[in-house]
Formats: sequence, C-alpha cells, structure tokens
Amino acid sequence: MSTIALHDEHNHDHADHGHHKETLISKYIFSMDHKMIAKQFLVTGIIMAVIAMILSILFRIQLAWPDKDFPFLETFLGKWAEGGRIKPDFYLALVTIHGTIMVFFVLTAGLSGTFSNLLIPLQIGARDMASPFLNMLSYWFFFLACVVMMSSFFIQTGPASGGWTVYPPLSALPKAMPGSGLGMTLWLVSMVLFVASSLMGGINYVSTILNMRTKGMDLWKMPLTIWAFFLTAILGILSFPVLVAGVVLLIFDRSVGTSFYLSDIVLGGNILPNEGGSPILWQHLFWFLGHPEVYIVIMPALGISSEVISVNSRKPIFGYHAMVYSLIGITVLSFIVWGHHMFVTGMNPLLGGVFMITTLIIAVPSAVKTFNYLATLWRGNIRFTPAMLFAIGLVSFFISGGLTGIFLGNASLDINLHDTYFVVAHFHLVMGSAAIFGMLAGVYHWYPKMFGRMMNAKLGYLHFWLTFIAAYLVFFPLHFLGLDGVPRRYYAFTEFEFMKKWLTVNVFVTWAAIMAALAQVAFLFNFFYSIYKGKKAPQNPWESNTLEWTAPVEHIHGNWPGEIPTVHRWPYDYSKPGHDVDFIPQTVPFSQTMSSNLPHDFEGNAEAEKIQQEWELANPVQENKG
Amino acid sequence: MELAMGNIQDTFDPKPKKFIVWLFVVTSTIMFGGFTSYYLVFAASKGKGHGLVLPDAFIYSSIIILISSFTLILAAKALRKLNFGLQRNMLWVTMILAVAFGILQFNAWTSMVGTGATLVGNNAAISFIYVVTWVHLLHIIGGVGFIINALAGSYKNIPAAKNQYRMEIASIFWHFIDILWIYLYVFLLLNR
Repeated sequence: MSTIALHDEHNHDHADHGHHKETLISKYIFSMDHKMIAKQFLVTGIIMAVIAMILSILFRIQLAWPDKDFPFLETFLGKWAEGGRIKPDFYLALVTIHGTIMVFFVLTAGLSGTFSNLLIPLQIGARDMASPFLNMLSYWFFFLACVVMMSSFFIQTGPASGGWTVYPPLSALPKAMPGSGLGMTLWLVSMVLFVASSLMGGINYVSTILNMRTKGMDLWKMPLTIWAFFLTAILGILSFPVLVAGVVLLIFDRSVGTSFYLSDIVLGGNILPNEGGSPILWQHLFWFLGHPEVYIVIMPALGISSEVISVNSRKPIFGYHAMVYSLIGITVLSFIVWGHHMFVTGMNPLLGGVFMITTLIIAVPSAVKTFNYLATLWRGNIRFTPAMLFAIGLVSFFISGGLTGIFLGNASLDINLHDTYFVVAHFHLVMGSAAIFGMLAGVYHWYPKMFGRMMNAKLGYLHFWLTFIAAYLVFFPLHFLGLDGVPRRYYAFTEFEFMKKWLTVNVFVTWAAIMAALAQVAFLFNFFYSIYKGKKAPQNPWESNTLEWTAPVEHIHGNWPGEIPTVHRWPYDYSKPGHDVDFIPQTVPFSQTMSSNLPHDFEGNAEAEKIQQEWELANPVQENKG
Repeated sequence: MELAMGNIQDTFDPKPKKFIVWLFVVTSTIMFGGFTSYYLVFAASKGKGHGLVLPDAFIYSSIIILISSFTLILAAKALRKLNFGLQRNMLWVTMILAVAFGILQFNAWTSMVGTGATLVGNNAAISFIYVVTWVHLLHIIGGVGFIINALAGSYKNIPAAKNQYRMEIASIFWHFIDILWIYLYVFLLLNR
C-alpha cells in the first residue's frame, strides 16, 4: 500500500508553529482528540450515573415506605407523585430508565467510551484513533441519545416503562400503558442513536488496535486493558446489529401496524387485528445482544483491574496468557448462552439443557480470572491506593455475584428464581457493582493521565469504604427476598400477604442505598475539585510500565513529542529479580537490563541469549545480587 | 509543549480507515443475519413462510445490481490506469444503475401490494419482505454516497493516494451490498 506523505488535518498540534490555532469549539466541543473525547464520555457518563442513582433512590423510597407521604416528592415530580406518593406508572418508568441508563449509558458508553478512547492510542503507541472524525461523531451520537432519553421525563405520558428489556407487547402497542406511547418511541430513537454511537466507537477501537500499534508492540505485548477493550469492541460489533434488526421490526409493529411480535391481543376489551407474530422472537433477538452486553459491561472493568492490581501489587499479573484466553473464552461463549434468559418461555427442555451447559461453562474462564487476580495479590508489595481498593472490590463483587450466576444458570433452579429479587441481587453484584468498581478504579488510576492532577486519596478511601459496605448492604439481603419468591418490579409489597414480612428489609435496604448515594458526594467533590485544585501529577505517579506514562503530562495532540516510543518487553515486569527498581517500563530495551534478563525474555533469539550468557560470565558478582 | 514535532511524518495511511469499512460490512452482515434468523425461527415455529411468487421486478433488479458491480470494477480499473475520464463515466453509469435498482424495488413493492400481499397483514413473513428490502435500499443510498465521494475525489484534484482510497472503499461497500441483495433474494426464493 502506498503511503504518501500528506499534511493530514488530524495531526496538527499546539506546537505546530502557531497556525491552525484550536478554538474553544474545536478543543472542548467538537474535539477530534481521543483524550478530550474520553473526558467527554467520562463526564457525560458520570452525569448519567448520578441521574440513574437518583432514580433508584426514588423507587427505593417507594419500596420502603409505600404507605407514607413525602410532600417533597410532589414538589419535584408534580403529578407523578401526587400527594407525595410515587404513582405506579411512574414507578415502572423509574426502574426502566434506571436500568437503561446504567446498562447502556454508564457502563457501556461511560466505561468503554472513556477508557477505550483514553487508553487505546496511549497504551499501544498511536497518535490517535483510526478515524478521529468517527470518534467525535460517536461521542455526539451518544450525547444525543442521552438527551433524547432524558427528554421523555418532560412529556405528558412519561418515559418508557416496560422494563429495560422493552418486551412486546408493552413496547409494541402504543396504547398498552402510558409509558408505551411517546416515551417508548423516544426510548427507541435514543437506542438507535446509542447503537450507532457504540458501533462507530467499537469499529474504531478494533481498527486502531489491529493497525496502529507502535514498533515492537505485538499482540502479546499489549496490556490486558487493551485486550479487554479489543474483545469488548468485537462483542459490540457482533451483537449490537442484531438489536438494530429487532428494533427495526419493533418500530414497524408500533408505527405501521405489522405483526412481527404481536398476536391474539385484547386491549381494553377490543380484539386487535394483529395476528401471527410472537413476542418470544423479540426476546431471542434482544438477548442475542443482551447477553453479550453484560460482558461488554464487565470485560473493560476486568481489564482495568488486571492492570491496576498488577501495578499496585508490584508483581507481574499472574497468568497473562490465561487472562487473555479467558477473555477470548468469555467472548465466544457469550454468544451461545442467551437462552438462559428465556428458560420460562416454554423453551424445549433439550434446548434449555444446551443453554444451561454453555452458561455453566462460562464459570471456567471467570474462575480462571478470579484466581489469577488472587494469585497476583498473593505476597505482593501491595500499595493500597484508592484505585487498588476499587479493583479489589471488583474481585469481591465478581465472586459473590458470580456464585449466584451458577444458581441461575441451572434451568431447574431458574424456573423458581426467574424474575425475582434473586436475579436483581445477582446482576447488581456481578455486573452492576463489579463494573462500577472497575470503572471507578480506572478513574482513580488514570485521573492523573486525564487531568494532569492527582485526586485526593483520603476522600478516595472514604468513598471506597462507604460504597463497598453499602453495596453489600443493599444487594445481599435481596437474595433472600428472591428465594422467598418476591417478584421484581412490583410497586408495593403491601398488596401481597407473603411479601409484607419483607417490608422491614426494604426499609433497611433503602437506608443503605441512601448511604451509598451520599458516599458518591465524596467522589463527585473529589473529581471536580481536583480538576482545578488537585496536586500536580508527576509523569508516572504509580511507577507503572505501560506506554501512556511515557507521554508528557501536558496533553499534546499526537500524544508524544517526536517519535512514538518503541516497545521492547511485555507490560508486567514488576519486581523483576536482579533489577534495581521494582518496575521496568515497556520502552526499556533488554540491553539496559542485563542484570535481570531471563532466558525466556529473548523468545528463542539465539544471538541475544548468547550475548546475555557472555555478559553473565563477565559479571558474576551482580548475578548474586538481590 | 514547545518541543519540536517536525520529525513526525504526517502521513496518510489508508489501511486503518479501509479496515473500518470492512468492519462496517461485518456489522451490516450481522444485522441482516439477525433479520433472516428472525424469519427462519418465525417460519419454523409457524410452519409457513411468505408463500408468494416473488415479483419479476426483483429478477431485473438483481441483474441491474450485478451489472453495476461490473461497471464499478471497470471504474476501478480505469483509475489504476490513470484514465480518469473512463473512471468518471463508469462511476456515473454505476450511479444510474443504482437509481434504476431503486425504481425497480419500488416497482416490486407496488406489484406486491397489487396482489394483496401488503406490508400490514396477518403474515409477518410478507411484512418481512418489505422491511428487509427497504433496509437494503437504505444501504444502496449509503453506497451511492460512497460513489459520489469517489466521483468528487476524481473531479477535485486530490492526491492520488486519497483518490485511490475513496475508490477502494466505494468498491468494498458496493460489492458488499450487491452480494447482500443476491443473498436476500435467494433467501426469499428458498424460504417460501
């Protein structure tokens, strides 16, 4: 391929002799710099997370005190909380939009969008993404998706309220319930924008990783963060289009009157003409995306914690190759397990059995990852930075939430537990809390890279402990409600005799949720205050090996002044015996670390091995050092 | 900040961007895979497909789109031989064929409506034909965008590498939607 020197508009920079000065708009708004786009994703993600958290507090208040009036609710919510009580329709809208925002806007766009954008070019050694323009478009589609989704709170009939999975017929018949009207339309519009954003991002990430790595950065020298983002992007590329197909058919059902998902429906005493469709088909198409989606949520978090745990244990990650192969295993398996969300749809038991086996096999790569985290921590020189605590928190949630996945993966148990609070407890631990903790670990760890300043560690500790304890206090009790058969999404426990005894637990859980929400104030203050007043960050604050810490603290377009550094080694040479400091950045060649080189470092290069042997013969004293 | 960046070669490397187009082709394939698997599961569970004799217009549109791929190959060949006149002419012919394809699709829909196989009805398999051909037509419109991009590149005096790149991505996408149409047509023929 001919590579001809051209003046590419994307690679201008501040130091480019003053011309093409960046304006406010091109720098902060329609920026094509991956570092700025990462920050845009992060700040938007944080705002959406705060909104989703407030929604959850609102419905937790309803669950805890269904008989009490809270006049302040009417002040804020108007007719949706007449007399200070949240209405049933609005309650359903709250849980629906809470789920949608958290899964898609915070843990997909906020997580992948932030860290894939920030770290892919910086950690593989590229000037920017394959297509900076597409990258900018990806953010603005995401932003529009957020605006459209939030606009549904300002319409008469309220937001979509059929659950984040938007099953037909509630989603397909605009007259089914108030939220099925304009709110549902806005939900679909928002989701189309969101999928477009995700695909533009994901395609860019994959192309960048495969085509733009710096010299020496072969696939097996990539940090696990990059492996995780890479496989996450592939998951998105292969699963989101199926959701688009499903959504297109759903839009036709809603707006044109086709019967893709509808049949034999009586609405308000009238028999509808729709005939021949099946809502189960939506579930298939939805969960073909939906299940990979939960791995889209957790895998970047797993990648981030691999990096954070290794750096702060001052040890190589245990089982680097096993970590990569488990991620690949999870990626492949995630496409053949969607049926476990549908065990109660009258599925053929044989098919159910197949989905059960594939589902349970996912426990293997997940367990490999968990044990590798623990083995990395084992006898490490652990530095308990806030990022490290959050990464360890992720491991904790991944274990406690993952165990209940084995229960739910069993068809025979799932038939009892389906749609109960057991499911709510399971996924809030394993993909909710775990992914959020991974994201927060990433924020604390790469904050210096993003903003050139440090976050306050003491506030970080406060944030961690309050959130960690509160998350368990919120979600652990919910398992027991589920085991007792309490269904999720129910408006008031007072309506059912067998559920009344759980009211006191709900009060407890709600107080814990309020505690968790207040703990986030520590984070928000720390985050925004430190942007302006935080301690100035050194270039490599965590003494880390990866490439991003070789770039200057001051952000420049193109990331590195002069040539992009060359990579000589894998990213996990921490506490290597024989070396004088406990980390060796990827850019340090083996010729500068003769005292610590090991035979397998040379990957079978006979000449390099010979040079090493000769050096060792000539320097016998250093051999015994350390 | 004031470090010299003069030694950075600002180069135009088409490879990552071309790869993006390939990945888009993958996503689009998956989406149509989603559509057609809907159809397969639907047909299997209901024991019936669309049950129609597909309109002849679909045969003509298939022939037209195959010819358009051929003219696009000629355009790409002409560019390689730096025969810009022929390249532009062939791109124009491709575009005209694309418009003809669109007209034929409308024609096919009209004749389907004429036989009573309407978009809204009690057989989702028939509605499916409309939806899937409509979504495919959206791709054709996108493909025309790529061709206009290549044409504009040829008329404006942009560097040869960029011109070549525009031609290549137009070709990747156009041949893909050609194959995609043939797949959809054969799929609908085989799964009546």
